[in-house]
Amino acid sequence: MENLLDIHFLIESFPAIVTRLPITIGIAVGSLIISLFIGLTTALIKIYRVPVLKTISSFYVSFVRGTPLLVQIYLVFYGIPKVIYFFQTEYGWLLNIDVNIIAPEVYALLAFSINLGAYLSETIRSAIESVDRGQFEAAKAIGLSPTQMMLKIIFPQALSVAIPNLGNMFISTIKDTSLVFIIGVIDIMGQAKILGSRGLAFFEVYIAVSIIYWIICIIVERLLVIVEKRARRYERGVVS
Amino acid sequence: MIKVENLHKYFDQQHVLKGINFSVNKGEVVSILGPSGSGKSTLLRCVNFLEQPTNGIVEISGKRVNVESARKVDIQSLRLSTGMVFQQYNLFKNLTVLQNVMIGLTSVKNISSNEAKKVSAEILEKVGLQDRLEHYPVQLSGGQQQRVGIARALALNPEVLLFDEPTSSLDPELVGEVLTVIKEVAKEGNTMLIVTHELNFAREISDRIIFMENGMILEEGTAEQMFTNPSVERTKQFIGKVLKK
Repeated sequence: MENLLDIHFLIESFPAIVTRLPITIGIAVGSLIISLFIGLTTALIKIYRVPVLKTISSFYVSFVRGTPLLVQIYLVFYGIPKVIYFFQTEYGWLLNIDVNIIAPEVYALLAFSINLGAYLSETIRSAIESVDRGQFEAAKAIGLSPTQMMLKIIFPQALSVAIPNLGNMFISTIKDTSLVFIIGVIDIMGQAKILGSRGLAFFEVYIAVSIIYWIICIIVERLLVIVEKRARRYERGVVS
Repeated sequence: MIKVENLHKYFDQQHVLKGINFSVNKGEVVSILGPSGSGKSTLLRCVNFLEQPTNGIVEISGKRVNVESARKVDIQSLRLSTGMVFQQYNLFKNLTVLQNVMIGLTSVKNISSNEAKKVSAEILEKVGLQDRLEHYPVQLSGGQQQRVGIARALALNPEVLLFDEPTSSLDPELVGEVLTVIKEVAKEGNTMLIVTHELNFAREISDRIIFMENGMILEEGTAEQMFTNPSVERTKQFIGKVLKK
């Protein structure tokens, strides 16, 4: 009788899959950083009701939230080279970019940043708006500039509100990066797929890769608890 | 020191300040009294542009600002020459007591952190909070928070201190400690404009009292005159009613 699982194959596939971990983490962390910028910018545009930009950013947020991530990855992967090529041939712009050598990792990073940025936009906006009006007034009354007010008073308070949400989205993003193999990025999922077809042991490699995702997410959750505690330290009622 | 001329404020269609004229001299303590909704808090908040007045003139220590054409620098200069104490304290929740008082010195006046720390600690000692420097606002009682609020306003050494109902959200037993601090501050010769419901306190501390109703100043005069012999019937009625409570 055949075994349910080839345990040896399962165990041996771990180190091979883990070698691609930097790709998965790199795309997740990289897109988190870029999307924080996108999210913050679009949130501030919305809060300060900047004309024109406001319309563009709500169009962006609405489009991203209303279309599947998979479709967005394809749009970026197929769309951007075409757009660059169009500009090169029609206008002679962007000539120093060779669309044939852009790594698929770059498109993946871009697609995830665009996607996460739209979701963060709403989270960041509501976190900033949840800060008590009196904090803004006190900052203005003592003469802080708008930038100082935001950086020193409002953002730190908004951050402690937003962290649980940001954390959940980051964890979702880590798991969503498993989609990137469709555009030829070999992340841990892509590596698992390759190993699986080589040894005809798909069940084993997918068990291995799911355990790896699971462990990453547990580690990230633990880190988030620490970060949240630190960001909220001023909310404790008890004297330390 | 402060001079307000023909100040109007509309919230949409609602006319909440209807041509206010008054002035406060250097070193004077002036209280604004009046029933809820009379526009007294709005008036105070118009002086430092936390509310944008609709039209009129605000002048503080010689700096005249026509509110309709006020530029950012004008607003900033009014804010720098005033210090405000809020009804809800509005301490920066993410900063410690010491940082709350220091931030104006380091960020607005560009004073070195060491110097700012020294100055702030001295002011906090004056309001009796020298042993609470590293606490966060949430760890303090309302009365302590408001004393930090006063220290924060004092730190920038403003020309005028604005108090917006400084004791209205305090538990009754905490009102005393805050009023004591405000009296101390007044004794030091600071120019102060106070919106308050504490009539006895206003009588004791003020050089002059302004009585407002319906967005207008009904009467103004020295504290003694306003409490013992107001010339307007409505003022008499209001003061009588509140003092009886």
